[in-house]
Amino acid sequence: MRILLVEDERKVAEMVSRGLKAERYAVDVAENGDAGWAMANTYDYDLVILDLGLPDMDGGEVLRRIRARNPTLPILILTARDATASKVTSFEAGADDYLTKPFAYAELVVRVKALLRRGPSKQSNVVRVGDLELDRLTQQVSRGGQRIELTPKEYSLLDYLATHPGRVLSRTMIVEHVWDQSFEGLTNIVDVYVRHLRAKIDDPFPNKLIWTVRGAGYRLVDEAKA
Amino acid sequence: MNTRSIRFRLAAWHAVLFTAVFAVLGTLLYASVKEYLYDTLLETQARRARQIAETLLANAPRTGEDYVVREINSLYSPELSNRFIRVSRRDGSFLYVSGPPSDQSFDPRGVPAPREGNAAEFARRENLGDGRHLLVAAFRAAAAQGGDYLVEVGTSAEPVDRFARHLLLLLALGIPLVLAVAAAGGYILARRALKPVEQIALKAEMITQHNLSERLPITHTGDELERLSVALNHMITRLDDAFGNSKRFVADASHELRTPLTVIQGELENLAGDAHISADLRDRIGSTLEEVERLGKIVQKLLALSRLDAGEAREEWVRVDLASLARATSDQMLLLAEDKKIRVTVDGGHPVHVMGDRARLKQVVVNLVDNAVKYTPAGGSVRIGVHKSAGSALLEVADTGIGIPPEAAPLVFERFFRVGRDRSTQEDGAGLGLAIVKSICVAHGGRVEVESSVGSGSRFVVSLPLSD
Repeated sequence: MRILLVEDERKVAEMVSRGLKAERYAVDVAENGDAGWAMANTYDYDLVILDLGLPDMDGGEVLRRIRARNPTLPILILTARDATASKVTSFEAGADDYLTKPFAYAELVVRVKALLRRGPSKQSNVVRVGDLELDRLTQQVSRGGQRIELTPKEYSLLDYLATHPGRVLSRTMIVEHVWDQSFEGLTNIVDVYVRHLRAKIDDPFPNKLIWTVRGAGYRLVDEAKA
Repeated sequence: MNTRSIRFRLAAWHAVLFTAVFAVLGTLLYASVKEYLYDTLLETQARRARQIAETLLANAPRTGEDYVVREINSLYSPELSNRFIRVSRRDGSFLYVSGPPSDQSFDPRGVPAPREGNAAEFARRENLGDGRHLLVAAFRAAAAQGGDYLVEVGTSAEPVDRFARHLLLLLALGIPLVLAVAAAGGYILARRALKPVEQIALKAEMITQHNLSERLPITHTGDELERLSVALNHMITRLDDAFGNSKRFVADASHELRTPLTVIQGELENLAGDAHISADLRDRIGSTLEEVERLGKIVQKLLALSRLDAGEAREEWVRVDLASLARATSDQMLLLAEDKKIRVTVDGGHPVHVMGDRARLKQVVVNLVDNAVKYTPAGGSVRIGVHKSAGSALLEVADTGIGIPPEAAPLVFERFFRVGRDRSTQEDGAGLGLAIVKSICVAHGGRVEVESSVGSGSRFVVSLPLSD
């Protein structure tokens, strides 16, 4: 998998490419719009991560040119502009996803994976982590064959964690995914729901599945198996 | 009526001044008219006295005194013409005294004898009592041989006095009229002159930090009011620039902070993911990451505020049912309250529609409910209500929390304001939540107010224009 990263902030570029390389992606970095467009036009990429504020050629222009040339190449916009208008313009110009700085690195990886996984979904209706089982069709949850009753919000939260097993999900990501942007200010809403979820999922069982990662967020993983 | 308004004071001054001028002029007029009439009357009497002296008395020694008496009676018939005629001899005895006048205005016999010495001609005003006066002109007639006579001719001052009283009455009646006309005139003139001031004031009141680009109307009259409105407009321009600069600064600064924050967050996350570091170091990196996340949130909220300031709330403008929005939103936060053993109730089942940006209106509910839950101790309650009142949609969030001290109540909507140290409960929130609520309300043409008493709770009321 080859990713083109167009980002003029050297440190952001380094940080992102190092992280993506650790995930075993091949990453090329272009430091301005001209170079970015030239590289996208020359090589065959699976994904483009594009900063909007670029020297030489604006990110929006690069986005339009790439889209005109290749209608299916996934493009993830990375920018400090988070006005709704800016998002709408980018989506209209053909962006597939949009990430606002500052972002959690984990979130970038989750979105990159989601974009690369696009196409016919191979995901089954049943998600398993250890002995935890989620039926995404009926929204039923069981652990070790034992039915567990969850409220709709608790289910959404568990579903989000379970579909990204082993990955740290930040509170911001969880709020945006399970609730919406309006709730972003109240981070402890996530903590409260996770505590309630733990009481049902983890407390009755010997091995824990939901882990707190200080400063980063939560992850769902079966450590005993890993 | 405002007695301190310029309009009232101008009208009052106008009236007082006019009345004073009228009173002075009236007094002068009254005095001079009366004086003139007395003089004219006396002049007539004096002429007649001279006539009698020169035509009749000069020849008295020759014609005899009886002739004089007959002539006076037939020529002047003083009783019929209400005139007083008296001729006295040198020794003080009377040669002739007219009879009582037909109108009984005086008694000729009661008129005192002249006291003047040897003056040839003089005039006097005899007071007859009861406010009646007699005007008397005297002329000394020198007879050819020896003895001379004093001729006195008089008439009642009554007609002149009556006319003067009449004039006085007219003038006195005129004063309130002048007062009324001057006051009304002054009031109308002042109102006309001050009308532009009212327009300027009305317009100026409508200018807030959100429409500083607007200007006051300028009437090109070249007068003081034009100067005033031009000066005010210059002031608004300077305010606009200052506000614009500070808004741009906040927007730019928050924007510029994002890239370094991204790098810090990413690098720290990478570090924390390193399997070789100690648990203690991991914990410290985690703690730092929490602060970075908090910083990121503040930056994000500041940007949200500066976008609201820039009037971006109207991007997505739809009809929203505030009642169902409040219910759905508070449902999503129920667990947050239950966790603190706080009971949340929502009243108002009828739809209340407003026009606005759904996500931002939801933000208002979220921030207010979060705030209420945060500052209400366990076992308390939070009541949310949505209803219509006098053309407004009201959203109320009342709690049984710790309350806000009265001196802090007006400040809770200020950016970065926090009531005391003890209120800053947790790591989240920088004192921007209520500032965002206020900005959203203002951007929707509404407002937010708070009533609170320490120890018994707070009540936040958002009012927005109804859409139906």
